[in-house]
Amino acid sequence: MHMYFKATALLYTLTVFTIIILLVGIYANIYLWRKGKAKSLHHKLHYGSMIKALILDALLQAQLFKQNIVRWLMHFCIFWGFLGLLAHTTFLAIMSHFLSPNLSFTQYIFLGPGRQILDVWGDLWGLILFIGIAIALLRRYIFKAEQLDTISSDTTAILFLLFISLTGFLSEAQRLAALDFEPYMRYSFIGCPLASLIRSMPSLTINYYSIVWIHTLISIVFLAFIPFSKMFHVFVSPVEIALDASEKKD
Amino acid sequence: MEDQDKKLEKTETAENTPDDTKAPIINIDNLSMRQLMELDACTRCGECSLWCPAYEQDKKEGITPRGRAKAFKDIIKAQHGLWAKIFGRPKVTKEKLDQFVADLYECSTCRQCYEVCPVKIDTVELWENIRRSIVDAGCGPLEPQKNLIQSVKSYDNPWGQPRSSRTRWAKVAKRKKKIAGEPKDITRKKADVLYFVGCTGAYDVNVEPVAINTVKILDAAGTDFGTLGTKEKCCGSVLLRMGDNEYDRIAKENIKQFNDLGFTTMITSCAGCFKTIKHDYPKTGKLNFEVKHTLEFIIDLIESGKLKLKNEVKMKVTYHDPCHLGRHSSVYDAPRKLLNLIPGIELIEMERTRENSRCCGAGGGLKSGYPDIQNKISQTRIKEAEETGATELVSACPFCYQGLQVGIQALDSKLTMRDITDLVVMAIEDKTEDSIQ
Repeated sequence: MHMYFKATALLYTLTVFTIIILLVGIYANIYLWRKGKAKSLHHKLHYGSMIKALILDALLQAQLFKQNIVRWLMHFCIFWGFLGLLAHTTFLAIMSHFLSPNLSFTQYIFLGPGRQILDVWGDLWGLILFIGIAIALLRRYIFKAEQLDTISSDTTAILFLLFISLTGFLSEAQRLAALDFEPYMRYSFIGCPLASLIRSMPSLTINYYSIVWIHTLISIVFLAFIPFSKMFHVFVSPVEIALDASEKKD
Repeated sequence: MEDQDKKLEKTETAENTPDDTKAPIINIDNLSMRQLMELDACTRCGECSLWCPAYEQDKKEGITPRGRAKAFKDIIKAQHGLWAKIFGRPKVTKEKLDQFVADLYECSTCRQCYEVCPVKIDTVELWENIRRSIVDAGCGPLEPQKNLIQSVKSYDNPWGQPRSSRTRWAKVAKRKKKIAGEPKDITRKKADVLYFVGCTGAYDVNVEPVAINTVKILDAAGTDFGTLGTKEKCCGSVLLRMGDNEYDRIAKENIKQFNDLGFTTMITSCAGCFKTIKHDYPKTGKLNFEVKHTLEFIIDLIESGKLKLKNEVKMKVTYHDPCHLGRHSSVYDAPRKLLNLIPGIELIEMERTRENSRCCGAGGGLKSGYPDIQNKISQTRIKEAEETGATELVSACPFCYQGLQVGIQALDSKLTMRDITDLVVMAIEDKTEDSIQ
């Protein structure tokens, strides 16, 4: 029994619904952009500069690094942590829903050594995300960094990320706590100690499926929230970085 | 679909008439798709607010680039967004729009926000095009700025001076024997180089030595040059920065006039004219000549041996990067190179230089719209210059010259404001009494 979260018709329905909201939100933004009639670009696209800028300033966020290492660490952790977890979830979804459980690769991933890789992967990127969120919370609400002006959408975005992160760890801990301890569980280097705590204090036990549903619901609502919030920059900012690099080339 | 939208806008505009509290519809045709996308690209990180010279003096969130982007996005989403189309437009109050307009113009368009923006939003072009939309809607610019614009439209210069006075500086300089003769009129007799004097250099008596210096230098090097005389018109920078669509007409007319004259190089001592003609004009029409700032041309003259810097100029100077020459045009090394070529000059850099140079606050209509803020911005820059221990504050823009003088006077500073051409003249001539003091 590996007790990974299984998809249900309800989850599929919610996911489809979420994607529709996401697409409508994106369309609403593009609808407004298309009202602009002036010339967007004054030069031909320079793909080399665009790729270089995307690597340096979008993926590595070099400009931020030069400005402030703490801010860079925060953003870098949130960006890569979220991408790492998205890759983890996407991989699990493909393995669970599109591949036969009898395949040797499926067996390797869910019952063999592959699960150790998955456990390390999930906890590592979860931790990276959490570090980024923690820095963001400290900067914004404790140290009140001079440049920040907090409005409700800033708080909403950060709370979404925080709850996704916390419920993710909690899901993993409850999953492991529901099983007898086995040495491979140590690869969940955050989930395993939390699971031990839950085993020692049974009052902390929550039904694994309940917490994983909460985690899932928060995650999909967050996905739908993206185009209606400042989080939309995750799609748009890299485009602007690339276009600026191309225009600047000439 | 767009026709329907225009009908809706027309209906709304008609509906606006009796409701004084409702803002007019802002036409966003002036913006590009990319610029509207840029409003969504802002991460609200606030780096811009740490560097904005206006915000440094007036701590209002609304004037930060982040604040302006959000406020404008809220307004146009309410007026043009998909939800407005489906469910009807929520009311945007005139008070809200007026506040946005006031905040939009509390900006010197110095481009510092672009330099520090992690996602590289092309802020200044965005503000300029938003200003166009605001002017189109009859909501801008600010009252004091309207005089400058009206003057450009009526007299081809922002200083309310008659066209016939444009060459007064040359006539007076010739009479006082500061220059050998008035520059030739390039519209009558061809020349290789056009010296575009610019309105500030031509009309402001405090700054006109920049033009006189330039003529002296060009004469000393034996350059075949001319000016447009009284036929020179404002480059239109004032209109472009403040969002007036008349800029397009002026730019087209100037481009045609320039291209028809057949000169190979245009030089100008004004960073604002330089930026406008070199970088903004090509968006309107093709130029068949090269555009250089005077100081770049002077370096060419020195390096080709046509101009000899024979005198030692023993001065401790600090250099102020004009925004339109630096951040807007990336000319950072040339002025420093020229200063180092002048014998005896000791250049001491300020704490903030080059891409992060503080603005003098004079550009973008800020000086006319918010003179108190400009004064404070200028004072901050002057204090920074004083900290270097230099005795001379050097720049390469008549507008910065005016803007920084405000701070020097307010602080009763011992610094002497100089245009870079002033130092070159000292190095080529024995007498220096004509220098701008």
